[in-house]
Amino acid sequence: MKITILALTFAALMVAHGTALAQEHQGHKPNMTMATELPKPPDKFPAWMSNRTADHLFYKPASYNWEILRVRRFAQDMFATGVGHARAYEALATGQAPQLETRIYEEIVRVLKNPPSIPIDEQALAPTFLRKYGSLEKVFDWAHILHFQTIDVLSKPNWTDAQKEAEIEKLWQFYSAQPYAITGLPMNMAYLDGFSYSATFRKNYPKVNGLFWGYHWLQTVNYDMLYRTPVETHAAQYEVLGARYIEEELFKTDRDFMPMTAETSPRFAKRFPQIANAFDNLHMLHDNVNDILSDSRLTEQQRKEQVNIAIWRVLASTHQGEESGTGEPNTLHDHRHPMGMPGMGMMKGSDEELMFMSGMGWMNMTECAHCSISLPESGPWGATVTANGWTMTVRCMLCARDMASETIGRAIIRGATEDPNKTIVLISDEEGNWKTNFPNAVFLEVMADHPECSGWSRVFTSKAAFDAYVKENPEYKDAEPLTLSAWAQKNGGKPETYRRVDKPNPYRSDPPPASDEQGGAQ
Amino acid sequence: MKHKSKTLIAALLMLCGTFAINSVALAHEADCPYCKLKLVQNTKEEDNEVVVKFGNKRIEYRCIYCVVADQAKLKGDLVVYAPSEKAGSPIVLKRTDGKWTAPEGTLFLNTFKRHKTCAAESRAFTSRASFDKYVKAKGIEGAKALTLAEFLAEVAKKK
Repeated sequence: MKITILALTFAALMVAHGTALAQEHQGHKPNMTMATELPKPPDKFPAWMSNRTADHLFYKPASYNWEILRVRRFAQDMFATGVGHARAYEALATGQAPQLETRIYEEIVRVLKNPPSIPIDEQALAPTFLRKYGSLEKVFDWAHILHFQTIDVLSKPNWTDAQKEAEIEKLWQFYSAQPYAITGLPMNMAYLDGFSYSATFRKNYPKVNGLFWGYHWLQTVNYDMLYRTPVETHAAQYEVLGARYIEEELFKTDRDFMPMTAETSPRFAKRFPQIANAFDNLHMLHDNVNDILSDSRLTEQQRKEQVNIAIWRVLASTHQGEESGTGEPNTLHDHRHPMGMPGMGMMKGSDEELMFMSGMGWMNMTECAHCSISLPESGPWGATVTANGWTMTVRCMLCARDMASETIGRAIIRGATEDPNKTIVLISDEEGNWKTNFPNAVFLEVMADHPECSGWSRVFTSKAAFDAYVKENPEYKDAEPLTLSAWAQKNGGKPETYRRVDKPNPYRSDPPPASDEQGGAQ
Repeated sequence: MKHKSKTLIAALLMLCGTFAINSVALAHEADCPYCKLKLVQNTKEEDNEVVVKFGNKRIEYRCIYCVVADQAKLKGDLVVYAPSEKAGSPIVLKRTDGKWTAPEGTLFLNTFKRHKTCAAESRAFTSRASFDKYVKAKGIEGAKALTLAEFLAEVAKKK
């Protein structure tokens, strides 16, 4: 009798998983816990998705193409991510998944540590995958070209920031004009990661998934490195970021979620929200595809169909006429975003004020990460701090310095000066000793309340600029102009205004066991 | 009735004010870089924050075990302000050219089994008497007073 009940229960579960394809429509509100049924295809896929010709698109012709090579190691690391993607996909498409975490992982890591000097044709590395999932490759390839050309524009010397920004807008139009374009609208990441197959890849192949998320860290962290910063600083910045990438970020297996562009490059994401969203949606498509291809419960036919549905979900054409900041919560057409950050969709557990950032906890993106005071709406935007894998926006130079000094390892500060076209870049060693691109930089720091910190803590490219500011703001007439070394030694202590949002990690129902044991943290 | 309403509103406003004050942390309540658990803040009666200074860096840890266990990440010479038995009077430990030193007579407690109690059970003391007093007051069983060398060896063994 018991055996019969068990058998019937098992059979019912199998039927529920294997055959119930039908429930989720576009716009249908799913249960935000993990769905148990496979997503249903739309009434009609775009015609190009059944076109088996190559239809290969290439770069927008431009003088800036391949400027990425100005920081050679950065270019090489970016080229190597293509090898990593392609090798893993070919393995998944050819039944080599059992070797992914061993032999293939080792092969990929060898390439990542000895990256190619030229871009590698991913299609040559993954011919089977290309044959099976040609339309997917078109979407990937086109978005990767946007990645690279945006980098090229930002790397171009002798162009003003305004010229670069105008060209990036044109690139976005160039990209969006093609049918393979991914939407630039923010999408609900919890929804996109809530299907029956979701998280299969990261659970079964944590090391290779860690590599994928490491690539996505590199592919997004670079934009704030390049955006509105002098090209002369890019190599020095990449020396810090590249080391972090190859030593830490690639090999992390404890991330809660893939890195988001707004987490790693908040300034760029705020300025170009469509591009940031397109990259995040692209990276989520990668995750969806990884999960689909590694879910052993799916048949070959189901995989093909689910990959097509995953593509369709993020295409610009699927969301035509829809607007950022609107949409029914937790659905395919949920295009809300956190306050102050149009370049990021809603995340698991987030609301419009708060989002959970892996490694940093709950954040309000309209507030300074150090003193919790609202970021100024206009004028100088303060600074960003990049350290320990994250990039945070802060109100003033004091907040930037103290936040960096409280973090282990090297750090980068990108700060506003008196001239909107001159961003100061400060790079510290592991002991917090700073170097800068403006050797004559002068700092103002007249400690007062943090709600006004963006006024009393600033940096200037010269003593003359400092004097001009003090003249305009006589309340600082007694302020001493600080050199970099004098400024670096100061510490403002803990801001009384700092507010920690104390909510549990939405990605983990149980506390991590390893870190709770003596000696087990690392 | 009008007066009662005003009193009620005033009481509610006071309650809201109290909540707001409580919800604003007076200090950075970050996580320990090593064990990833929340830092324990100082109180009037007892220090808990372990501060490590090196160069221009100032990093907070949950306990001295966490500092020593994580020391490979910290470059250069270190100065560690370890909570002692007396609030406001930390014991200063130093790592100079890789060699650790502590004031003469410093003893260490390191009995914790799980990191949730490490802030209370991995500490430094200026004397045997203060060690014994602390251990008795906290009801810590099986506590052994360790010298600096013994403490470092214990961390190295357990890590």
